[in-house]
Amino acid sequence: MSSPNLIEARGLSAGYGGESILSGLDFSLRPGQTLALVGANGSGKTTLLKAIAGLLPPLAGELQVLGAAPLGSPSRVAYLGQFHPSGFALPLRVAEIVRMGRFSAHGLFGKLKKEDDEAVREAIAELGLADIADMPLNALSGGQRQRVFIAQALARRAELLLLDEPEANLDGTARATTRRLFDEAVSRGASAVIATHDIEAAAACDYTMLLARRLVAYGASAEVLRTEALLDTFGLVGRAEGDKLVVLGREHGHDCHE
Amino acid sequence: MIDFLLGPFIRNEFMARALAGGLLVSLSCAVVGTFVVLRGLAFIGDALSHGVLPGVAVALLFGLPGMVGAAAGSLAMILGIGYVTRRSSLSSDTAIGLLFVGMLALGVVIVSRSRSFSGDLVRILFGEVLGISWADVAGQAGAALAVSAVAAVCRRPFLLLCFSPEQADVSGFPAKRYHSIMLLMIALTVVVSFKTVGTLLVFGLLIAPAASAALFARKVGSMMLLALAFGATSVYLGLLASYRLNTAGGASIALAATLIFFALLESKRILARRRA
Amino acid sequence: MRTRLRKAAAPLLVAALGFSIALAFGSCAGRAGTGKKTIVVTYSILGSVVKDLVGDRFELIVSIPNTLDPHEWEPSARDIETINRADLVVENGLGLEEGMGKALAQARKAGVEFFTASDHVLVRTVGKGEGLPSGDPDQEVGAQDPHLWTDPVTMEAIVDALADEIEAGFKVDLSARRADLDSRLEALDAEVAAQTAKLPEARRMLVTGHESMGYFAQRYGFKLVGAIVPSLSSQAESSAAELAALKALIAAKGVSVIFTEAGTSPAVAAALAREAKVEAVSLNTHALPEGGGYAEFIRGLASTITQSLAKGAPR
Repeated sequence: MSSPNLIEARGLSAGYGGESILSGLDFSLRPGQTLALVGANGSGKTTLLKAIAGLLPPLAGELQVLGAAPLGSPSRVAYLGQFHPSGFALPLRVAEIVRMGRFSAHGLFGKLKKEDDEAVREAIAELGLADIADMPLNALSGGQRQRVFIAQALARRAELLLLDEPEANLDGTARATTRRLFDEAVSRGASAVIATHDIEAAAACDYTMLLARRLVAYGASAEVLRTEALLDTFGLVGRAEGDKLVVLGREHGHDCHE
Repeated sequence: MIDFLLGPFIRNEFMARALAGGLLVSLSCAVVGTFVVLRGLAFIGDALSHGVLPGVAVALLFGLPGMVGAAAGSLAMILGIGYVTRRSSLSSDTAIGLLFVGMLALGVVIVSRSRSFSGDLVRILFGEVLGISWADVAGQAGAALAVSAVAAVCRRPFLLLCFSPEQADVSGFPAKRYHSIMLLMIALTVVVSFKTVGTLLVFGLLIAPAASAALFARKVGSMMLLALAFGATSVYLGLLASYRLNTAGGASIALAATLIFFALLESKRILARRRA
Repeated sequence: MRTRLRKAAAPLLVAALGFSIALAFGSCAGRAGTGKKTIVVTYSILGSVVKDLVGDRFELIVSIPNTLDPHEWEPSARDIETINRADLVVENGLGLEEGMGKALAQARKAGVEFFTASDHVLVRTVGKGEGLPSGDPDQEVGAQDPHLWTDPVTMEAIVDALADEIEAGFKVDLSARRADLDSRLEALDAEVAAQTAKLPEARRMLVTGHESMGYFAQRYGFKLVGAIVPSLSSQAESSAAELAALKALIAAKGVSVIFTEAGTSPAVAAALAREAKVEAVSLNTHALPEGGGYAEFIRGLASTITQSLAKGAPR
């Protein structure tokens, strides 16, 4: 069944080791659209992203990415995992790391051509990494490393971007740059699914899914990002005062840890 | 001066053989060791060298060539580690540590039934670099060739694995498959190298030159070349020391490799401080 | 700079390998041939006898240092070099020099002249009912005992064969020295026979560190009851079962003394002696006594054995 949708999910259940964290999800994504996944830690955002990326097999239901099973076209999908500050830091150069983003387009033996070097150079320049392109990864700060990982994801020039909290660890300028770059990619026809804590970032997306180990709400961002729904998602108790959200306390036992 | 540095190798075929074998081992270890260091798989290298002893012991028991047993032993170790890590993620360190001990003890028990127990054990644990034959050298050449070929073919997925197994998967290179290939390469290297420096020390020859290279190199290619240079130097210095100072061959090589690493580590620190 | 390094690397590696191989072939080039010819003998006791035979006509080098266990010792690079450059290597054979196996084999392959002592004697094999059945192939009936040197008559056979070989190979005349050495060895044999004859039959029981006294026992009528390490080599290990069986055997046969030697664990020997209520006596079986030669060695063996066994009260 081929469809113009980039992502098509029906009754999808996703989780680890046989245990499902999210179930019964129905949603789809068309080219050029953006979807935000909003929720607390452990709510299932990362799980869902990994399922779409093909890193977790669906526990039930159907999931089609780019018209086939996930991982069917690796060169057309870019996945950016959550940043781990204590993650293993390589002594390899920034340029080398970004260059790895081009491997999926060529497999084991395909020769890397001029356009690959172009893509790498562009990504490095756009993330402001040109000055440190020769430095080893393990000599960089957390924010610099995150920018390297984003550059690698961008260098793929993928049709579908799957980003897990891409702006964590970034300062204000870097955050703005990143957001601009994703917008540019989308305007060129790419789609994105972004997991985020940032309500503002979610509001900038076309659609939003509120998750709390279950689907709290799904629809156009403007509608979904309403006070009551948000409170429910984050387990907060409060009330709206015009524009502002006044938080009165935390719902007992809401926090879920992945 | 020349006689001091090269004399022992010119005058004695067994010294030249040991040097040739050692250089080839350095080549295999440079290629494989670079990935081991980049991926933080040091403990796997250590584990495999523990698996070799019971394998060799069983092979000797049945009159098979030691290499066959060594290969079987490391494969058993790979499977054992896979089994243990799948069963328990929390205490896997403990379980794997016990697996090492178990394999080592099993090997010693098997060897102890042999008439020349102490000698055999010493030779397996510490190698007999001065007793390498041309057949051994040929085997080491074959292994170096095989390992280099595989690394060349799989260089992209290996690089991705070093960076992030997830990224390897989403780039279309199944992480599990290439991880297994890498483990086999490590096993092959350990199997052909243990005759040189012994199973206790082969891990040092695998890791130390590559770790030294990682202090300075920023590209995989240059890291391997540097590792080769450091490994070859360790082999040469170790053999020369063994001759001049009457020390054990294999251990001298391993010691040279580790001393080089710590010297470079220290000098890097001093250089960094001076630059600051 | 880095790309240049990479380009230089491949030819460098080929050059380095080619260099080592060239070294190997170059090393076949001649040995320093000035002065006396060199004879390398693997262990000291045999070395002492060979020295008696050839005197100062040859330069004699002993590989294994006198106090070290010949079953265990491994040669260093220099030692291997010495072996490879010898004009004649005299080895014991039957796998005595376990640690030297590879080095000796490779020297042989490289064309060094070898004399193997065990080729020229009547080799003793492990007999039925001797020691303990341990399942070790080296303790099976028929296993060949390498401890040739504990019997002067066996040594005489070696001396004769070696003298023939050296005279033929090096064109020297050793007839006078050979005759002298032969008569001395025969006198030594008579001396020990007389000494041990005084010991009553019932006392002539040997329990040793490993099975090393076979030729002595055969020549002078002793019984090998067992050994702490039930093997022809000091390099094996005794299991708990074997030690228990040995203890039982000691009690059954009324043994009063156990002899420990090089390579025997002192702790194990002491524990066994305590439990079996016997005396543990150190016996020098693999090394020359200080400042002495072969004759002193044999005399030391004989007197230690006869005196210790004579003392012990029958049980």
